[in-house]
Amino acid sequence: MDETERPGERRRVSVAKRLAEPDESPVELPASKVRARTRRDFLFWTAGALVAAGGFWWLLPDETRERHLTPAMRDWLDSLEARVGADRLRRERFLNRVLTFDDDVAEALYSPTRSVRTYSRSEITPLKNNYNGATPKPDYLPGWTLTVSGLASGRVERLTIAELLGRFALHDQVTRLFCVEGWSAIAWWGGLRFADLLQAYSPVSGARWAKLESSVNLDAAGGPDPYYVSIDLPTARHPQTLLATHLSGKALPVEHGAPLRLLAPMKLGLKNIKAITSIAYSVEQPADYWNERGYSRYDGL
Amino acid sequence: MRIAEKEHPAATRKVVVRHHALVRLAHWATLPVLFGLIASGLSIYWASPVNQHPVNPATGSTDYLADLGIWISHPPPGTAADPGAWLYDRFGLGTFRLAQALRLHWLFAYLFMTVGLLYAIGLALGGGYKALLPRRSDLAGALAMLRYYLGAVPAKLLRRPWPHPPVKSKYNPLQRIAYLAMPLLGLLAVASGWAMHKPVQLKWLERLFVNYEGARIIHFWTMVAFATFVIPHVVLVIADGWDTFRSMVTGWSYRVGGRYGRD
Repeated sequence: MDETERPGERRRVSVAKRLAEPDESPVELPASKVRARTRRDFLFWTAGALVAAGGFWWLLPDETRERHLTPAMRDWLDSLEARVGADRLRRERFLNRVLTFDDDVAEALYSPTRSVRTYSRSEITPLKNNYNGATPKPDYLPGWTLTVSGLASGRVERLTIAELLGRFALHDQVTRLFCVEGWSAIAWWGGLRFADLLQAYSPVSGARWAKLESSVNLDAAGGPDPYYVSIDLPTARHPQTLLATHLSGKALPVEHGAPLRLLAPMKLGLKNIKAITSIAYSVEQPADYWNERGYSRYDGL
Repeated sequence: MRIAEKEHPAATRKVVVRHHALVRLAHWATLPVLFGLIASGLSIYWASPVNQHPVNPATGSTDYLADLGIWISHPPPGTAADPGAWLYDRFGLGTFRLAQALRLHWLFAYLFMTVGLLYAIGLALGGGYKALLPRRSDLAGALAMLRYYLGAVPAKLLRRPWPHPPVKSKYNPLQRIAYLAMPLLGLLAVASGWAMHKPVQLKWLERLFVNYEGARIIHFWTMVAFATFVIPHVVLVIADGWDTFRSMVTGWSYRVGGRYGRD
């Protein structure tokens, strides 16, 4: 934007000078130059507007596209965009990369020594049963065991709730549970520390992940729909990460994951799996139910 | 464009450079990014609206935004479509789009922060922020501008003279307040956004908004404030004329003498 620039003479201009607020005094320029620059800037602006509009169309979810324009226009736009490589497959890959990037930011922000904010019992709010499908019938409770695998010992441990309650110290905490949907609830939880279980049954060397699974989860129609989440071991080792057995001082009710659920208050609620039936440690990152359905994977708050 | 210029190859034109290239770039880049943030944000909001009321027995709605959609669309009785989704379908990505909306919201949020950071750095290093700093006389000046805008149309209809208050600086007082408020609003949107996104690791930020719910409420209302700003902004640019619009594209204005008594 340097108007005194002469052809064939390029001067070095400092960053501060380049960024300097334009001088408000009028300058007299050849009309042809004004026209050429105006044309150039408007062409640039139009190109930008087209790229932005095209980019928007590319990024829109398919279901959202269905509600806009006519089918013929949609087809025309889609084939035009596919010609420059902006197809659905690329869109999914790109947006999933955005999710991974945001997860990486969350992981970088995580500190194992940072405590989660706790509340007093007078601040407790109602906690709804947010089972994704139907709430399981309590008949799974009498035969319930926790299977722990991926251990250094090479064994597969099966623990009953009585064994867990008898062997490990119970801890209380009043923390907020954050749902990915936006609501949150402050509740009083009690349970054993995940870190204590890790200490008692050490994972295979090099293990960085735990896959927590509930085989008793149901879909909306009441059919079996096993639920599983991946938890990184730094999160599992946090002193406020509980394998909760109690809610409001009483044994966990079925709708909140009896007899054992995860309470990782530094993770989204969807990681706080209910009615855990197995824990498997692994070196590789395990599958995650909601990640397979388009949500993030690390879910650190 | 102009015949006189074509006739004379040596013709000159007096211009005044009004907007730095970085300001123009930030301005136009913000437009689609903000649009994307609002569209995806509405679909996230739908999943659990923070401004809720007890169930309305007639509509089954607990959400003021859904109510607004119902009120605007006036659904004919017996229609199958969910009238509560009207607003979310038109201004958002639609209902039941949470996973897709979240990904898009993060994309646009990181773009928004990048553009905002570039703008802030440019303004800080180049001294452009000085034109936005409030002055002692701005409150009275802003009221005078408001009075001018509100009376401009009636005065025109009554064919009465209605002089523009004199402007002695780059922006008039109302503009100065609005153009300073926008970056600050952006900062508030980013701060409340991070407070909601990372309330555990950034718990000091969450505390700044009292709690998580506070951050959610503020974040929602920054969206409303942005959307509200756009309306008078566009109306006034159209009213002010082509030169104003062009100056945000090319940077320069042909109004060298100052149209409103500017020196």
